[in-house]
Amino acid sequence: MNKIKVLFFATLRDRAGTKSLDIEISEETTVKGLKDRITREFPSLEQSMESVVISINREFAFDESIVPANAEVAMFPPVSGG
Amino acid sequence: MAISDMGQPTIFSITESELDLDGLLAQITLDSTGAAAIFTGMVRGETRRGDPHETVYLEYEAYVPMAEAKMKQVADEIRQKWPTVEGIAIVQRIGRLYPKTPTVLIACTAAHRDTGVFEAARYGIDRLKEIVPVWKKEVGPNGEEWVEGGYRPKPGE
Repeated sequence: MNKIKVLFFATLRDRAGTKSLDIEISEETTVKGLKDRITREFPSLEQSMESVVISINREFAFDESIVPANAEVAMFPPVSGG
Repeated sequence: MAISDMGQPTIFSITESELDLDGLLAQITLDSTGAAAIFTGMVRGETRRGDPHETVYLEYEAYVPMAEAKMKQVADEIRQKWPTVEGIAIVQRIGRLYPKTPTVLIACTAAHRDTGVFEAARYGIDRLKEIVPVWKKEVGPNGEEWVEGGYRPKPGE
């Protein structure tokens, strides 16, 4: 099992009710697999997951990416800075 | 953060402090600089275009380490596209910001104005709105709502 940290921002943080969590995932878990697991644990995020943007270790990541050990994963809506 | 590569300054930061437009410009002005294009965005109290509404304040937040890394990436992209650009500053203010307050600054300097410096600054703000992880919540007289962007990053971005 790999330990990882998951961070939530903006609408996802509000809906999850937490800023971050530490979890263990099996090796070879993909971003898609992680999204499915988070949605099971936080059903309030189901709608957010349709447009969620994911980063792993501060780089954008995509459904098929493998989540490495000790990863810092962030989940957030499309950005709206400026 | 401020770095200097071959004498060319690049500033990229997320800050909770007031934007010092003059100070930032001074930091990217070299002896050889003769032109600067500065874009700054501010909180708009009255929106007339699209869905007209009033804004009491905006609350900005950022994923700071990734946001600063992506700002550096935007600056690198600007230098690749416009090698004549001398200094670059990309600064986003976060926290609770009221109408008329500058929220973001993108400034590019160059020797002359006809070197692409206007386009470089324009590219910088457009790109910031695509890939730099910052979000804003809009608070109006009748409630609040997160503003959601429309861009989905692609692999390699």
